[in-house]
Amino acid sequence: MTKWLIGFIVLVVAGSCSQDEGNRPMVFWCSNNAGEIAFAKEFTERWQRSRTDKPLRFQPIPEGQSSEEIILASVVGKTTPDIYANMWQGSVEMYAKAHVLIPLDTLKGFADFIRSRCDSSVIREITSADGHIYQVPWKVNPIMTLSNRQALNSLRGIRPPFSYTSFLEAGRQLKHQNGDGYTDRWLGYTEVKAIWYQRLFNFYPLYLAASNGAPLIVNNRAAFNNRYAVEVFRFLQNLYKNDYFPRERLSAARDPFIDERIATQFSGPWQVSYLEKFKKPGFEYDFWPMPVPEALASSNKPVYTYGDPKNIVIFNTCRDPQAAWEFVRTLIDSQGDLRLMELTGQFPRRKQLDTDPYFAPYFSRNPRTKPFARQVRHIKGVDNCAVIVEVFDIISQEYEACVIYNRKTPEAAIRDAANAVDVLLENNE
Amino acid sequence: MKKLLPYWLVAPYVVHMLVFVAFPVVFSVVLTFHRWNIISPMEFIGPDNYVRLFKDRLFWQALFNTFRFLLVHIPLQIGIALGLAELLNRTLRGAAFFRAAFFLPVIVSGVVVTILWQQLLSFNSGMLNRLIAGIGLPRVAWLDDPAVAMYSIAIMATWKNVGLYVILFLVGLQTVPPQYYEAADLEGATNWQKFRYITLPMINPTIFTVVVLSTIGGFSLFIEPYIMTEGGPLNSTLSAVMYIYQQAFQYYHMGYSATLGFFFALLILAVVAIQKRYVEQEI
Repeated sequence: MTKWLIGFIVLVVAGSCSQDEGNRPMVFWCSNNAGEIAFAKEFTERWQRSRTDKPLRFQPIPEGQSSEEIILASVVGKTTPDIYANMWQGSVEMYAKAHVLIPLDTLKGFADFIRSRCDSSVIREITSADGHIYQVPWKVNPIMTLSNRQALNSLRGIRPPFSYTSFLEAGRQLKHQNGDGYTDRWLGYTEVKAIWYQRLFNFYPLYLAASNGAPLIVNNRAAFNNRYAVEVFRFLQNLYKNDYFPRERLSAARDPFIDERIATQFSGPWQVSYLEKFKKPGFEYDFWPMPVPEALASSNKPVYTYGDPKNIVIFNTCRDPQAAWEFVRTLIDSQGDLRLMELTGQFPRRKQLDTDPYFAPYFSRNPRTKPFARQVRHIKGVDNCAVIVEVFDIISQEYEACVIYNRKTPEAAIRDAANAVDVLLENNE
Repeated sequence: MKKLLPYWLVAPYVVHMLVFVAFPVVFSVVLTFHRWNIISPMEFIGPDNYVRLFKDRLFWQALFNTFRFLLVHIPLQIGIALGLAELLNRTLRGAAFFRAAFFLPVIVSGVVVTILWQQLLSFNSGMLNRLIAGIGLPRVAWLDDPAVAMYSIAIMATWKNVGLYVILFLVGLQTVPPQYYEAADLEGATNWQKFRYITLPMINPTIFTVVVLSTIGGFSLFIEPYIMTEGGPLNSTLSAVMYIYQQAFQYYHMGYSATLGFFFALLILAVVAIQKRYVEQEI
């Protein structure tokens, strides 16, 4: 009797499981900010109406310390969604190496679509070391120099865009304005913490700007032991050494830029809606390219920066990758990209964004975002490297020693970082 | 059935031990010989993790930082706790209030205490620096100066934990028979002599317990630097446990992190064994 009972229970459980799997809708995880939830909801509902044969539901990524941590936990627990939109480009190679992502170039229609959306340099950037493409370039937030217009107008002979010399001169004049011996107004502030991702918002965009978008790693070797990286370290070191940037963390209770304690900031387009909401009446600001060395400043060449790209991936737990791709395609066609900008204020990574007539009305309605749209032509993500976090961590350690605490020369700091990265990459081959 | 009953009764504990203690210990030892990033299959690499450990400059710096912390934290904690316990052991007015007051930080969450102290020690807006600036002295970068940051953390950790050790010492002091002090008074002993030759030897087991608990607690230094300084500036507050955590959960070097953990556990065992040998015999 007992044996029969156990057998019956096993059959029922097994049957119900397989039935659940068969009817399971595709799951789409989006970021958990209000704009992206609205975006995901709109496009999921549209898909549900048009493709009743391929059920789909969306869900904001579960709460956690970081989305990277949640994704890792879901990969380990094999509970990944079918589609995830908001994958940091630097994480993709690690997952690609672990074979948990679908190579999208094997799906019908992907290659043609991606060639029509992105130029060859972007396609090269997202192609994995094994030659496959595991990510759809989706959205970017270019890092630029935000400046307080009145503060800069009060300085003699300083007109952005900045070269290293004019930026430092602005710092000197602002420091002089303090007068009483205490610095209560600085040229700018950028996070001093040695945590790796903070370098994506100071060292890295400056390095890309100085080097015309050069990579940090080439052929599994450090490629940043060059004059550009050294100049960037020296430039930043001077900002701290001369007390133009504070070493101490500024209180987060009051925004130092709105509070006019700092005149510039390296920041992204997310700042526009924030500033429009909280700025005082009459407060004016502008966005400019990142500061560059003199030679580049006088050449009138476009200035590169870090684009902070977040991309879309399909996990190998997906039972119908072709259908998943067809859904993803709806998110990134012209209509999808326009809605992304309207609902989230973020920019799609597509070519000719600033000149495409389809998007022109949006930029007419939102003129503050135009500099970012122009900058989208000249952005880079991070190199495809499974240990990119550690690469940035090594750079961060040297950054702290050289730039913040002036314990090393820029040459020695960059050389030591490059040597350490070479050892790291050798060990991870 | 009756014969099996004892086994059934201990079974939950045995299962708990096997699942949550024995298995992780054995698994972590196995891990020390592998490279594993959680999502890819484990790769056997022999003793490479151990070789790397001895060449890892940052790990040795983290270990040095931890010892630097202990060197300040343990004597400070024992000295203050013993002094306060001595005071509270006398018939003072409001002794019960002070006992509760000293113990209060122990039961407050470590995260809350750390955030409070972070505010207190802030360079620009911290109360301590305002007081210092108020009397015309230059502000101190309590958490931003590599030479000072670890000592600031040691003082904070002492403030947080001292109440527990005050209670332990108080219990120890109350076990000393008063007749010993009466006899010493008759012999004309000074207060210091009574403390040195009666109190200290009599509370020796308590001192040993406090030293061991402080050492183990100090070795596991994590929350304070993790929240206050993130190991900086210039890795001056990077503790060994924090480094092990970074290796495991920031870089996903599970094998190497297990090796560091294993080595660190052996080190704590050795330090406690040395303390047992000397502290117990010396006093």
